[in-house]
Amino acid sequence: MKVKSGFVVRAVGDEHIAVPVGDRAKEFHGMIKLNETAEFLWSFFKDEHTEEEGIKALTETYDVSDEEAKNGVSNFVKMMTEHGFME
Amino acid sequence: MTIEELLKQEGKFLGPTKGVSMLPMLKEGRDTIVVYPKKERLAPYDVALYKRGEDYILHRVISVTDWGYIIRGDNCYYDEKIKEDRVIGVLGEYFKGDKHVLLTDKEYIKYSKRIVKNYPIRKFKVKIKGFIKSVIKKVFFKKRQNKTK
Repeated sequence: MKVKSGFVVRAVGDEHIAVPVGDRAKEFHGMIKLNETAEFLWSFFKDEHTEEEGIKALTETYDVSDEEAKNGVSNFVKMMTEHGFME
Repeated sequence: MTIEELLKQEGKFLGPTKGVSMLPMLKEGRDTIVVYPKKERLAPYDVALYKRGEDYILHRVISVTDWGYIIRGDNCYYDEKIKEDRVIGVLGEYFKGDKHVLLTDKEYIKYSKRIVKNYPIRKFKVKIKGFIKSVIKKVFFKKRQNKTK
């Protein structure tokens, strides 16, 4: 799975926000606020990866347990899929 | 969620631009605007977000009046009178492609002053261009008419 193309992440102040660009802007009109973990996962899933690879990347980068990483990735993928941001 | 709701809830709105009215500063499909809620009266050169019917418009304040603002797009050749209460936000920064532009940047300030100052020259050039085009059209049309006769 991976994040659909046509979104860019912009840093404004201390926040990271994903917004649509190009043709994607015609179908999506909002903005997506990302916390630190979500921003990391958004960048990671710009390329094709499995959930397991996301969990591994998260535990290797942040000081989190396997369980926390699993929940983090699962929530991220669920939210992204529900809103149609992943393919 | 509407832009007004996002401004109220998030304190800002980030999004793409549409149209050509703020060229060359903002280009559709490439740039991202960062708009903040209007907290005080705007000043000349500020870029105001307001609504025209169902559309959101982002144009530059040319002058401030008792009742609101005279506003114009950087690539437009007409002014609009916009009442104070119609303005819902103000551009705070933007991304020209990946380049982050703050409205306090020297280059940006220079640009905004230049685009307003040069307006009469630009308008004159457009009028001349239009006049030449119409003359060419008339001559061409006459020649074609003569040929068909």
